[in-house]
Amino acid sequence: MKDQQNKDKKVAEAEILPFSMSQAAADGRSSQVKRKILVVGKGLGFSLGVMDYAANLAQRLGYDLIGMSLNPGLKQAGKFFSPYNLHLRAKFTQRARAAWEALRPGLLQHGIKGEHVVKFAELTEAVKDLNHQVKRIDFVITDAGIRSEEITGEISLPVFSISGSGGEEVMAKEPVASRRQLLGKTIALGLGAVALYAAVFMNSGTVMHYFTQGGLYATLPIITVFLVSVVHGAFAHNFWTCLGIEATKKVQTRIAPRPVARRRPRPQLRLHA
Amino acid sequence: MHDIASDAVQFIDLNTMSILFLFVVGFIGGLVSGFIGSGGAFVLTPAMMSLGVLGTVAVASNMCHKFPKAMVGAYKRYKYGQADLKLGLVMAASAGVGVQVGIKIQEWILATWGQAGSNLYVSLSFVVILVVVGGYVFYDAFKTQKSGGEEKVSSLAQKLQKINLWPMMYFKTANVRISMWFTLPIGFATGMLAATIAVGGFIGVPGMIYGLGASGLVSSASELVIAFVMGFFGTIKWAMHGMVDIRLTLIILAGSLLGVQLGAIGTTLVKEHMIKVVMGTIMIIVAVSRALAVPQYLKELSLISLGPTTLSILSKASFAIMCLGLAVGAFIILGAMWRAKRAEAAARAGKYAIEQA
Repeated sequence: MKDQQNKDKKVAEAEILPFSMSQAAADGRSSQVKRKILVVGKGLGFSLGVMDYAANLAQRLGYDLIGMSLNPGLKQAGKFFSPYNLHLRAKFTQRARAAWEALRPGLLQHGIKGEHVVKFAELTEAVKDLNHQVKRIDFVITDAGIRSEEITGEISLPVFSISGSGGEEVMAKEPVASRRQLLGKTIALGLGAVALYAAVFMNSGTVMHYFTQGGLYATLPIITVFLVSVVHGAFAHNFWTCLGIEATKKVQTRIAPRPVARRRPRPQLRLHA
Repeated sequence: MHDIASDAVQFIDLNTMSILFLFVVGFIGGLVSGFIGSGGAFVLTPAMMSLGVLGTVAVASNMCHKFPKAMVGAYKRYKYGQADLKLGLVMAASAGVGVQVGIKIQEWILATWGQAGSNLYVSLSFVVILVVVGGYVFYDAFKTQKSGGEEKVSSLAQKLQKINLWPMMYFKTANVRISMWFTLPIGFATGMLAATIAVGGFIGVPGMIYGLGASGLVSSASELVIAFVMGFFGTIKWAMHGMVDIRLTLIILAGSLLGVQLGAIGTTLVKEHMIKVVMGTIMIIVAVSRALAVPQYLKELSLISLGPTTLSILSKASFAIMCLGLAVGAFIILGAMWRAKRAEAAARAGKYAIEQA
């Protein structure tokens, strides 16, 4: 079962790890692979202040930057791979990517090639995983949302947290193009539904005559109703989505399990940027 | 049941008011149905009849709208990981049998005591079941709310699950392992009640919660699967008799497809025990409504005597309170969804507050 879990995880993350990184890891030509700084953020964005500091540092040291967006809330609970969970993960990944893309120009200015990774795990596990997959991460900078208790002794890298930064988050706005697409689809479906209804009601005499004949004519109302359900049902779904009313994963106010591993007091380097 | 096919069936003329009325009632019915897994049907049939629609046409058209609505609702809640298909199908099998038995009983009562007797039977069933079950559901929801919202498996379900009677069945989504024999009475009762008062879910959902030990979410979602199966086969039967007024069906469907999705979304936003709260509330209010209709049938059977004005008042009050029950349910659902959305937005805003060193 654990193997299956690991396999599933690898499958799920195969698309998330940028090709270049897995390539470099596979190459093993460590001398040609730049060292890296890992910036870890919880949620969709990264604070501008932290990114700025990390970019400056990376530029001075000649390092590369990896941004990791964490969403431990969507980590796999139990054996059952929920298609809804996958759907939420895909959405989160898409938005986190978009947020990273918004930061990319700033990084390029510093001459840094940044990579982005999305992980659905707690901080310790995610960093350990990534460190294992991608060699040459020299140290980790945590973003503002991450509490010091989460940084445990299990991470074998130096971890720094920045304080006193401006705290502006770079959040990608829902890409304008896809919203328009959704609206277009909704209107099209709505028109389709209206057309179906018009067809029935403008010919109500004929319709009623045939639909109530009984016997084999029973298929007529049933097929009609199926057709309307598909079109109008899709319209209704998109209608609510356009209004911003969507299903969410309920907020579980579960306390994250405290790491049991021995907690050596870590030297907390506080850098005022 | 008298031979329907030989009667000349009158279908009503529709005007704007009746269209709007059916749309709104359809929407609210769909909302409640998407949320608690059943309901709406018991308002829609009387609502149609209040517009002058023939009883059998009302039941047939309602059923024709019920199964696609249940299909959409079940699909949505399956995507949210709430519907247990296997559980729904297993229950639907015994529900089918229950429906046939329920119809037979209805026919016998109609033959023995006439229409008034039949109506009395229906109303009394309403009152007894809704008060007993609804009262318990409501009480349980209240208890859960007081204990901080943690749903627990009922002691009865725990006991039943321990009994190892072959064949044992395991329901993945519901996370319930129980002997098949215990699903039979619940499914059967669901079907029988559906044939009697048109809402099987009022026994089905509490039955799954307290008898089998599934959560409120899974029970209400799986109930939609049962409703779809029963509705589908019921519609075939009615459509073959030519009883479906497709115009009524489509108008109601226009509203209920919007409502059922909203209700399904709502289940992902609010605390789980809200399902029980809404269900219990609706059941009790509708029980009152039906209780007010009982005197009329008693009078028709010459068991009591009442003046015509009293009867008229009672009948109007009964209908109004029934609509009120549905409206209150919808109000609670929407209110809970609204609060949940506000809390979510607030939590998101708070997350980005940075601690100053």
